[in-house]
Amino acid sequence: MTLRPSEISRQHQTEAYFLDGVIPQAQKIECWIEKAADMLAIRTEAKTLYWKLDDVRAVPDQGGKDLLVLRTTSEPLPRVLLTDPSYIKHLPKARKTPPVTKRGKLVAWSFAALTSVAIIIFGLVPLMANQLAGFIPPEGEQALGDVTLTQIREALTDEAAPISFCTDTDGTRALQRMQDRLVEAQALETPLRVHVLDHEMINAFALPGGHIVFFRGLIDKAETPEEIAAVFAHEIGHVASRDPTRHALRSAGSIGVLGLLFGDFAGGALVLLLTEQLIEAQYSQGAEAAADSFAYDMLLQAEISPAALGTMFERFLELGGETDGITAHFMSHPALGDRIEKARHAEPAGFQAQPILTPKEWRDLQSICGDSHERRGKSLKN
Amino acid sequence: MTRDQSPWGAPKPEPVPTAPTPSEPQDHLEGEFLGRRGRLFGLALRTGVLTILTLGFYRFWMKTRLRRWYWSSIRVGGLPLEYVGDPVEKLLGFLIAVVILAFYVGVVNLLLMFASFSLFQGNFAAYLASFVGVIPIWFYAQYRARRYVLARTRWRGLRFGLEPGAWGYALRALMHWVLTIVTAGILWPRMTFYLEKYKTDRTSWGNAQLTQGGRWQMLFPSAKWFILGVFLTACGGAPLVRAGYLANDLSDINFEPSQFGLWFLLIFVGGLVTTFGGFYYRVDTLRRLTGAKEMNGVRLVLKARPMRVFGIHLGGYTLAFFALLVPLTMMMFVIAFAMVGMVGNDSFDLDLEWLSALDRWLLIVINIGLYFSAFLMWSIFTQTFITFPLMRHYAETLTLHNPDALLAVRQRPRDEHIEAEGFAEALDVGASI
Repeated sequence: MTLRPSEISRQHQTEAYFLDGVIPQAQKIECWIEKAADMLAIRTEAKTLYWKLDDVRAVPDQGGKDLLVLRTTSEPLPRVLLTDPSYIKHLPKARKTPPVTKRGKLVAWSFAALTSVAIIIFGLVPLMANQLAGFIPPEGEQALGDVTLTQIREALTDEAAPISFCTDTDGTRALQRMQDRLVEAQALETPLRVHVLDHEMINAFALPGGHIVFFRGLIDKAETPEEIAAVFAHEIGHVASRDPTRHALRSAGSIGVLGLLFGDFAGGALVLLLTEQLIEAQYSQGAEAAADSFAYDMLLQAEISPAALGTMFERFLELGGETDGITAHFMSHPALGDRIEKARHAEPAGFQAQPILTPKEWRDLQSICGDSHERRGKSLKN
Repeated sequence: MTRDQSPWGAPKPEPVPTAPTPSEPQDHLEGEFLGRRGRLFGLALRTGVLTILTLGFYRFWMKTRLRRWYWSSIRVGGLPLEYVGDPVEKLLGFLIAVVILAFYVGVVNLLLMFASFSLFQGNFAAYLASFVGVIPIWFYAQYRARRYVLARTRWRGLRFGLEPGAWGYALRALMHWVLTIVTAGILWPRMTFYLEKYKTDRTSWGNAQLTQGGRWQMLFPSAKWFILGVFLTACGGAPLVRAGYLANDLSDINFEPSQFGLWFLLIFVGGLVTTFGGFYYRVDTLRRLTGAKEMNGVRLVLKARPMRVFGIHLGGYTLAFFALLVPLTMMMFVIAFAMVGMVGNDSFDLDLEWLSALDRWLLIVINIGLYFSAFLMWSIFTQTFITFPLMRHYAETLTLHNPDALLAVRQRPRDEHIEAEGFAEALDVGASI
């Protein structure tokens, strides 16, 4: 008996089923590899089809392991179903992952999505926040500040209760005296509400509704009360220009958009990160400069040297290498050196400074969170 | 049908040379589920880890692969479903949805926050308004997502399909919800029926259209356990509430302890029955609605058991909860350990501050890692112990009657559906599979 050439090159013959994607019927077929032409032959009762071996792919992630489902990259619909999954060893490209399709579209839409998110976060939302901040009534602004302050206090603690305020009577009185000296000459639209938080972070920030918050760390690290007064004046400058209100409105808009982008998995972590970001409020360069120059004026009128702000900035620079908490929003500003210089020059020639607190008051302010030795004792006991 | 037989319907003893396989007349095809739990666990773990490592962007691939796995595990009359969705089109659809929704979320949220603080001195009004505003889009997204999934599902080589009509669906869903709330839930079965009918009457397989038969009143019996549960709870709760209302303070309440115990028992049993009643309603309405669907004379019968579905949820969530406890406990240990370490550094080891800085970073990294593994655990365990057994149960209790009528159906054209399930993805609608 002689063999026809086609039968010589016919290899790995097997039985299989075929779905043509037109009629919902699994047709019983014979299937083999046509070695000479590198083709997969599929013989139905009506005709024989050939798939290029290089185009044959196994459909991945099959739940039933008794079945090998094959497709060809040249046609979307037809399928060959083999009851012998080990047949895959005869198909060289079966496990190849399909190339990423619609690459152009994907790039275009990624670009569009990023652009629109960027325009909204960096353009539209700040623009609207700036405009709207001027229209929010004082009660609303206060409520916004209260909510934000609570959020920050909750974010900064590991325990169930939010981080506590420092309320030593003498210390509070000293802080009040400092505030009175500073605002004496300047009428402020918003009444101030000043707090000290019991946390080692070296930082201070302003919130909507006239909240000014110092961290214990800042008071611990300052060497003169004038340095605290300088930071105080700077923060009053932010309050006066309503920077915190703008910032809070802006983050209300931005948080949602970012949550949209990252979805379930990273969403929770992101919200925490952004709350942290609130503390390190990075205002624009212009807003910082305005708050600085507001502070110089205020300090001069209160007969305190504006150079104290420069000293405080220097202190931040020195402490820059230290562990944590030094990420005050002063630090995040790139041109800190310039600002130190500016603060030095803001003091006019022949200026006579008056101490802002008596030595006794300064000691009181330093122990506003309780005696520092006591604190150390407490932490040892913990 | 058992697995030893040929997997495609009736065994064909002899290949008939002509005419494509006119199989023996069968009166019904049975559903089965072939996937194994261990394999799913591996797949969910691998894709979940990749999703975390890519900041969530692999989730489109994860979803696609899981669906492919589930669909291919489900066989009716021996032939598997196939999911042909493409992760790239999902990513694309998501990006499109982001472009559209970013504006809404950013600008509208900011405006609402402003208005809410200006007018009500709080953010509750803003959250409420922003939530209410999203409801119609939520229904819209749900329908679009269903359309996408059906358009990418094939059985016996033919595509399923759902006609466009997402806004119509959103509008009807809103109206039905209002009616249901106004009637204190009495018209809930009506909502269930008409929303299902809206979707079914627009669904096709190949060029054959499905229709939803039956009447909405047929769903009333499905609510029996739920109603009984609510009744029991009310019986136990009413005397307690009344007593609390009459008494000025707690010491005035003087009941026999036995009476007290009876009422609490009633409330407890009532709560349990109500919860079961919720599952019973879901499964039983699904059975009734499935039984009343029809396509070219083909009918479906679903014999899913409410008690089994209830048990799957109960057991699955318990397991997932314990799985979640593992990373959470570890996180607690890490924090406690770190606190002890920090106190040590603070008091007598000031030179080593850089070390504590390193510690802090390490701590943050470890905690972020554990936080994500908690997510991962939850997702893997709910996949393996809830979605998997549910799918298997539904697949195994499904039968298809008059299968010969299937052979007259032909292919339908492809539904391009460019934004895929992007809106649903962005809004987290029905994200389970």
